[in-house]
Amino acid sequence: MMNIKSEVVKPNTVRVYDLDEYEKLLKGIRVAACMITESHQIVDEESVLKRLNKLTIDGATDGNCCSCCGVGPFASRAQQTAHYKHHWHTHNLKRKLFGKAALTLGQFSSRNEDSSVSGSDSETEGSSSNPASELFAAATRHCKAFFSNHKGKVFCIYRCILHHKKEELSTDGGDTWVERCQRLSIAGYQRWAILMVSGGHFAGAIFSGGVAVVHKTHHSYVTRRGQGQAQVNRDQHGNAPRSAGASMRRYNQAQFLQHVQDIVASWIDDLKGCYLVLYRAVGSLNQSALFGKNSPLTREDPRVRALPFPTRKPTYKEVKRVHETVASVEVYDSMELFQRALIASTSKTAVKTGTDSNIDRNKKTQKSPSKPIDRAKSRERPPRELPTQIVSSEDDGPCFIDSETPAGWIKTLSEQSSNGVITNSRKDLLNDCAVDNSSDSDQENVSARKERNVKLKKKKKVEEKQPKKAPLKISANIKKLWKIASGKDVISLETIREEFAAEELRAACNAPDPADGNTALHKAAIADKPHMVTEILTAGGDPCLRNHALQTPYAAAPHPDTRVAFRLFQAQFPDKYNYSKSQIPGPVTPEQLEQEREKKAQQKKAKRQREKEKQVEKNKLNKFLHMTDVQKVRADLMMCFLCGSKLPRPPFEYSNFTFCSIKCLQNHRNLRPLHNSA
Amino acid sequence: MAVRVQFENNNEVGVFSKLTNSYCLVAIGGSENFYSVFEAELADTIPVVHVSVAGCRIIGRMTVANKNGLLVPSSTTDTELQHIRNSLPDTVKVQRVEERLSALGNVIACNDYVALVHPDLDKDTEEILADTLNVEVFRQTVAGNVLVGSYTALTNRGGMVHPKTTIQDQDELSSLLQVPLVAGTVNRGSDVVAAGLVVNDWSAFCGMDTTSTEISVIESVFKLNDAKPTAITSTMRASLIDSMS
Repeated sequence: MMNIKSEVVKPNTVRVYDLDEYEKLLKGIRVAACMITESHQIVDEESVLKRLNKLTIDGATDGNCCSCCGVGPFASRAQQTAHYKHHWHTHNLKRKLFGKAALTLGQFSSRNEDSSVSGSDSETEGSSSNPASELFAAATRHCKAFFSNHKGKVFCIYRCILHHKKEELSTDGGDTWVERCQRLSIAGYQRWAILMVSGGHFAGAIFSGGVAVVHKTHHSYVTRRGQGQAQVNRDQHGNAPRSAGASMRRYNQAQFLQHVQDIVASWIDDLKGCYLVLYRAVGSLNQSALFGKNSPLTREDPRVRALPFPTRKPTYKEVKRVHETVASVEVYDSMELFQRALIASTSKTAVKTGTDSNIDRNKKTQKSPSKPIDRAKSRERPPRELPTQIVSSEDDGPCFIDSETPAGWIKTLSEQSSNGVITNSRKDLLNDCAVDNSSDSDQENVSARKERNVKLKKKKKVEEKQPKKAPLKISANIKKLWKIASGKDVISLETIREEFAAEELRAACNAPDPADGNTALHKAAIADKPHMVTEILTAGGDPCLRNHALQTPYAAAPHPDTRVAFRLFQAQFPDKYNYSKSQIPGPVTPEQLEQEREKKAQQKKAKRQREKEKQVEKNKLNKFLHMTDVQKVRADLMMCFLCGSKLPRPPFEYSNFTFCSIKCLQNHRNLRPLHNSA
Repeated sequence: MAVRVQFENNNEVGVFSKLTNSYCLVAIGGSENFYSVFEAELADTIPVVHVSVAGCRIIGRMTVANKNGLLVPSSTTDTELQHIRNSLPDTVKVQRVEERLSALGNVIACNDYVALVHPDLDKDTEEILADTLNVEVFRQTVAGNVLVGSYTALTNRGGMVHPKTTIQDQDELSSLLQVPLVAGTVNRGSDVVAAGLVVNDWSAFCGMDTTSTEISVIESVFKLNDAKPTAITSTMRASLIDSMS
């Protein structure tokens, strides 16, 4: 592509109204070969004979080959069928249908896999097809007509100044083409009008030769910026906006139409003398401005032709540019140069649009900061730092601290900090957290905060002392308590009650085992001892304490009976503990339990009943299936004769036998071929 | 012997009927003339069944069939399908296919062993076709036409293709299908062979317009003169071919 681009020579441009040069160009004018349609090509006898020979001599072998792919003769039938089932064959078949040459196996396999099956689409390579026919296709579709003159120069003129779109100039001799070209050099035929309407802008001019005789531009406020472009359409749909701006726009719209029509009407005499009226008006609205009611212009007029290329905003400058472009004749020095340019131009357009869109995108991205934020759409999240998270190797619990962290946590943390386990940074965090807690309510004054801090410190001091004592205590009575709680023997808590003082028992019940954090309650729950659970709960074992696995005693209990013990206790003493953190699902009374048990028993009974019924039915079905057909007919049980299932409303039947489905019917018939005659 | 028929003054009999070696489908028409011609010729050998497909009478173009099975387009209603299944012999597999090219008869030409199909036919349909009709499937064109079903009339004994098929293409096709082929017309020069002609291994029905020359070509290529439904052509052929090749 790059090579071709660099080789393309920029053509000379000659304006139609530069009479001398134009006439020089027209000497010995002929329509270029690529413009002549295929149907008018003269068929020479030789080629026909050649083709016939090929058919009669080369072709018509024994047929053991594929003429489409040029393969064969095949060695075996298997080889032949394999070829006809190959994708390659199918692909070539389609290429042949589209008038393209077949690919060899090598070419086929080197193609992209994705288009191998379809074949009909994306046939852009076209390298194997005839370049002349391609050129012809490009030329006949092109918005310009191509000619050559006696010097071998090739030049192209816009079709719109030679003929109307609907007018088909015969391409056989090209006399009309030549005549049209020559006519352009006469002064009268160089009087053209160019009218452009777009987005509230109108620009029009009448040119005679290279000079504008009359020209006029007009602009009205008809599109509201930033509101999209189809406000007129909205007006027609009933829910027209009623804002001041919208009504202004509507007024201007009407004014604009009026003005344009006035301008065109005032030019009516000038327009009559024009050989061409070229216009650019995209959309019904713009077209109605030019060709609306009582306009002197009609689209049926052969002089009135649309411009074949897009234009910019209608201004006088743009009108002049358009006129110059339309009037220009591109001259290539030789056919070869021209062909190269033509092929390059067709491929260039694609590239160009690609880069254009890129530029657009760049523009957009540059613009974006000033753009108002569209709240309806979700935006990308701005990158934010993650909240600080400290991982300590000592414990596996979550270390994320904020004001929502339960106070208990902070307590344990502070305990650890006093033990020297916690790092400095963690201590800071802890203090911050304490401050945060207090600052939640703005009313609290500084003194209160200080008080609190003092309290916290005191607490710390108190707790500092406790853990030192705890290990000592564990060694004695608490171990005994744990043993009783988790042991297999049924011993009442009463046996060791006397060993504790009143307050001590409660503390002992709540003391966690340093190994796994289990309290006596945990141990009792894990050991499945509902009585012990109730006793410990009565003695003051808190059901909200968690062990190292963060389980409450209730959650740690593996057996439903033990769990029920917790619920029963809650129903009995609803106010003894704050059960909300204990994960106990709710209180339950013995009566409710009884009810539940009864319900379950009933369900079980019903289930057993159902199973029994099923069994009976199964036996019945078995019995039915073992009957002979005659017995079945006699039994008249409304069951399928083959599978015994229930019959649909109108059953499928043949000769007194009824069935649930066609499948059954057919199977039944297959089993009994003798009944076929029935 | 080829028989001339008309379906309600229409010569395109292949549109309104489908004939195979084990059954014959006939469209439900206003009068029974069409049906009775088939009945008289075939009733003692194979069942002749009244059928509609999606409420249409153009069953010949909508369906594809051989002695092993029948494919109907997805537009076929459940009741129609049930009726077809009830009336056809049990050995015939009836299958509905979801295919974009719904006029299956136009895009598929087959006998009891091979099928030519439209190059764009869906892969799934091709598989169903091979399974249901027990045929080997080839994607091909006939005289540059993709509607192979319309331009080919095929039996196990012979076939007739579009009149503009070149000799070479005929040779290739007949070597592929392993039956002799001839290019010909029906109905006084109509090139849509399959629309003007339904044929099986021992009988043929063509439009009333068909000339005697055309009929003689048909009889000779489909070998109808000496034809009787025999075991060699129907049941033993596959094994014979296998053993010979």
